[in-house]
Amino acid sequence: MEKLNITWCYPDILSLHGDRGNIMALKKVAEMLNIEVEINRIDNYDDLIDFKKTDILLFNPGELKTVPNIIEALKKQIDDLKEYVNKNKVLIVIGTTGAAFGKEIVKLDSTKIEGLGLLDMVTYERENILGDDLIIKLKDNDIELNGSQIQVIDTKLDSNIELAKVEYGYGNNGYENKLEGAKNNNLIFTNMLGPLFVKNPWYAELLIKKAMENKKVNIKEKISKESFEIEYKSLEAIKKYNEEK
Amino acid sequence: MKKLWFLIVLWSTKFGLVLCKIFKKNGTMIAGKVALKFQSDFIKYFKGINYDKVIFITGTNGKSTTNNIIVHTLKTAGKKVTTNLEGANLITGVATALIKDSTLTGKINSEFFVFETDERYLKRIYEAIPAKNICITNIQKDQVQRNGEPDYIYKKIKEVINKDVRIFVNNEEARAKSFEKFTDNVIYYSVARNDKSYEKTSFYDVTMPCPVCNSKIHFNYYNIDNVGDFKCSRCGFKSEKKPNYKISKIDYKNNEFICNNEKYSYVYSQPFFMYNYALAIAVCKEFNIKYSDIKEAFKTFKNIAGRLETIKYKTKEIKYIRMKQENPETLQSAFDYIAKDKSKKIFMLGLEQLEDFKPYYTNTFYSFDCNLDSLIDSNIEKYICFSKAVSYDTANRLIYAGVPKEKIVILPTDSNEAIFEELDKIDIDNIYLITWLHKYEELIRDVANLKEGE
Repeated sequence: MEKLNITWCYPDILSLHGDRGNIMALKKVAEMLNIEVEINRIDNYDDLIDFKKTDILLFNPGELKTVPNIIEALKKQIDDLKEYVNKNKVLIVIGTTGAAFGKEIVKLDSTKIEGLGLLDMVTYERENILGDDLIIKLKDNDIELNGSQIQVIDTKLDSNIELAKVEYGYGNNGYENKLEGAKNNNLIFTNMLGPLFVKNPWYAELLIKKAMENKKVNIKEKISKESFEIEYKSLEAIKKYNEEK
Repeated sequence: MKKLWFLIVLWSTKFGLVLCKIFKKNGTMIAGKVALKFQSDFIKYFKGINYDKVIFITGTNGKSTTNNIIVHTLKTAGKKVTTNLEGANLITGVATALIKDSTLTGKINSEFFVFETDERYLKRIYEAIPAKNICITNIQKDQVQRNGEPDYIYKKIKEVINKDVRIFVNNEEARAKSFEKFTDNVIYYSVARNDKSYEKTSFYDVTMPCPVCNSKIHFNYYNIDNVGDFKCSRCGFKSEKKPNYKISKIDYKNNEFICNNEKYSYVYSQPFFMYNYALAIAVCKEFNIKYSDIKEAFKTFKNIAGRLETIKYKTKEIKYIRMKQENPETLQSAFDYIAKDKSKKIFMLGLEQLEDFKPYYTNTFYSFDCNLDSLIDSNIEKYICFSKAVSYDTANRLIYAGVPKEKIVILPTDSNEAIFEELDKIDIDNIYLITWLHKYEELIRDVANLKEGE
């Protein structure tokens, strides 16, 4: 079977909340599906991404101050990046780093930074920080995910591109808004920390299968619910905690 | 009129402190809180504060301990010091310390003023007392629900660093060191590579962004997590080759080290303590405290804010290590401490739902910043993960580190009884416990109750 190639972008720079757990989880779940995995690190802004040898592109959360560097680095390969997204290939961006992929970032001092424009959204730096749990249902398939969020930006979507509906928590832009993340083909942006794929391995499974489908490899195998027993029990415990708190 | 009001507030709060003492109440914050409520600029009316001898100690980790070492050393040298030793590091704690040490006219006769200062309140404290000396221990991830990301705290500290301030910075902590660009008066303190230093070579290891240009920082080695000889891969920002004060030749067997050609004995040997000692030496030497006094003080220093305690439960000895769940460096230090004991043991890990501020939530993700390899290679027979909401996530972190599922007991409860029941099933007396301080205090209370009931 063909390998799954994961490109882990700027792991030292984008590492805020134990996020290397995401790459560990993607590898673990892929191996549970009997898929061989190759992970390629892009450590420096000057290193180029090999889009042809990438099936999943992962950007973990980083500090807001690194977002302009990420934009500058990716602009060097913007045509390849757009083609990658247009071809339905999987790109995951988590937390504040998501701001780089929107149209614009508005800082507290009113300065504006032009984003990569791959997501129809604008992000706004927040005055105060917000931390809470986050439980969502994916818009496409009602799959439930859970984690936490540490919000230093608010995100306003300019079209119906939300990734999920919020069941509990803050999401993109407030407790009332009930929208979480954004999506453009298989470019997925979420605020969810956890690490996301450690706590929701079923989502890792889904995205790995999409990545393999793009390579014309159909993975029929489904990982049993029992294999994710600890994660499902965690989901139930955390839902209960948030209901009762 | 304002001065008269100051005196009235001062006398009232001094009287309040006397009452606190009589009724054995902790008044470390309350007197200052009341004073500042009645007079917001209360602090500026104290007389006798020489700003050249005011020292603030700020940063994520090591504030309290370093503050305590410096104060102990200055006092050993016969100096009179005003300080907020009790860890009351907000402006209210500083105000209380001044109330305590002042005369009825608001005059303070101390030579030195040493204050541990919370990073987020540093500007407000500085506006009241413009210290000429600021020590920055490190800036790490901590209490993200309030602090968000390290850069948030960086900006808070930056607000008070200017050309009039002398800063003392950790030469091996990139964020702290980068404050050098805001003043010409910089004292670097350092710890050389030693027997407890290490390198990270795993594929999954990550470092941090450069505080100057946001590119990747490379560490030649680590003395503690994210602290070690470093260099930016892009802009060249790096540790100084010749810091002002450098601890070297650490002899962990005999508890001795050399700093700038002078030998010291010490009591506490954890790697992070070496930085506390280095900073204390730097500050004391810059204020002309004699080597013999510093040497003597280090021998007699007792850490009142200790993170290690022991509970006796039946035949078992439970060694408790305090940690901050939202601060991966303290969590890593706790894991590393246990890993040093290679005898057979039980490890209890009580990460919990976080209930410091509302909304409460269930962040356990900093455990993924930690490296657990040495811990799991240290002869742990069984792992017990407990807490109502996050015991499954805690167990999952151990599984990701390679612990077999059958070695892990998950107790999805906050009940202490369940923990004792589980311990009773195991025939090993060497137990290590990492959890929150309040949980440890509950366990001590319940152990005492069990003894009374016997």
